[in-house]
Amino acid sequence: MKAPDFSYYEAKSLSDAIKFKSQDDEAVILAGGQSLLPALNMRLSSPSCLIDISKLKDLSEIKLDDNSIYIGALATHNQVMDNLIIKENFSSLIEILKMVAHPAIRNKGTHGGSIAYGDPAAELPAFAVANNAKFILSGLNGNRTVEANDFYLGLFETDIKPDEILVGINYPLLKSNEKIVFEEVCRRHGDYAMAGLIAKVKINQSVIENIILVFFATGDRPNLTFNTSKLVVKNGYDYSSLKKSLSSEIDFAGDLNSSAPMKLHLATILIGKILKKLEN
Amino acid sequence: MSIKNSVNISLSVNGESFDNVTVPTRQHLADFLRSQGLTGTHLGCEQGACGACTIEMDGKAVRSCLILASQANGSSITTVEGFDDEVMEKVKNNFLKHNAFQCGFCSPGMLMTTKEIISSKKKLSRDEIRSEISGNYCRCTGYQSIVDAIEESINEIN
Repeated sequence: MKAPDFSYYEAKSLSDAIKFKSQDDEAVILAGGQSLLPALNMRLSSPSCLIDISKLKDLSEIKLDDNSIYIGALATHNQVMDNLIIKENFSSLIEILKMVAHPAIRNKGTHGGSIAYGDPAAELPAFAVANNAKFILSGLNGNRTVEANDFYLGLFETDIKPDEILVGINYPLLKSNEKIVFEEVCRRHGDYAMAGLIAKVKINQSVIENIILVFFATGDRPNLTFNTSKLVVKNGYDYSSLKKSLSSEIDFAGDLNSSAPMKLHLATILIGKILKKLEN
Repeated sequence: MSIKNSVNISLSVNGESFDNVTVPTRQHLADFLRSQGLTGTHLGCEQGACGACTIEMDGKAVRSCLILASQANGSSITTVEGFDDEVMEKVKNNFLKHNAFQCGFCSPGMLMTTKEIISSKKKLSRDEIRSEISGNYCRCTGYQSIVDAIEESINEIN
């Protein structure tokens, strides 16, 4: 299908884009467009105007600070994957990005776009929550920082205010005893997952001291599950108790390929798969 | 504040300049290219899943159904019609040799993805080739012959 009618505005600067967005509630930001354009083509979205920020090149910087990595919102997935700082300090992100769509889409799709779009089935929002990332939003009154887990409010719903634009993401560096493990089930490589799990694990003398579990493609947002995490640390993998715990912590929502009970089952076995990975 | 439903763009397609062409803001790049007679770029799904509309924009393979014509302002584009260099002649011959198409609908996108694989200079295994072309659907061949053609092209050129 073809996109509905909208107007188009090419932003000359960040402040220009913020000003424009603050004046039009129905306008949306166009970054890489790799999720927005399919939504427009399928007529799932009908904004009044697209504010194109893709040519604001200073928003694609990637840099390393003392204890965090900053990724500019407009860095494309392939730029992130090819970046030396990321390769040396954050290889788990590269492995995650291999599961995000296909090479031609990763040439255009942006890190910030994927974070800000808030698709509950996407990998990066869950990755950001698992890493306790901080999002930097720029608005009429300057910048503010929001923690990843406070950012996602519902289905495609985020804490971005009408005058705000996501400009960058700060990931705390992993400590030497921490690592990221993940697993997802999908029908075709690069497709959206039927269920996925990203875990940040703290290991002490080969024992799991702490585990943060964030599920995606399960509910209306990335699902952080505290009680299930505690159960895993305490008892390891026990299918029925973990399943029961997950069903009380996540409001599972089915989609075309998998029903809510199926997602619950998949989410549970993903915990087992991750624990198996940690043994190796 | 200027709000408009059409924009003027200038870009280069296969070395030919298009200056100040007026395009509707809602038109995607694939439709723009096809409206200029460049119908080698095919449209399958128009949602980024099938890969038939893959083109090269500023040296990178992208989906032309997921880029607005207005976003292509100032860019340099290569479509399948622009494949006349020595490397792509070899690739096309390998596609012919291995029968790497039946109906031909996916071929422009497959060739475009192959171009990006070749220019990465990586020696890929058959599994890796399959992963690289995972964004391009072919409903005829079962992919075997396409992987054959790409594999031979990599060995011949890189």
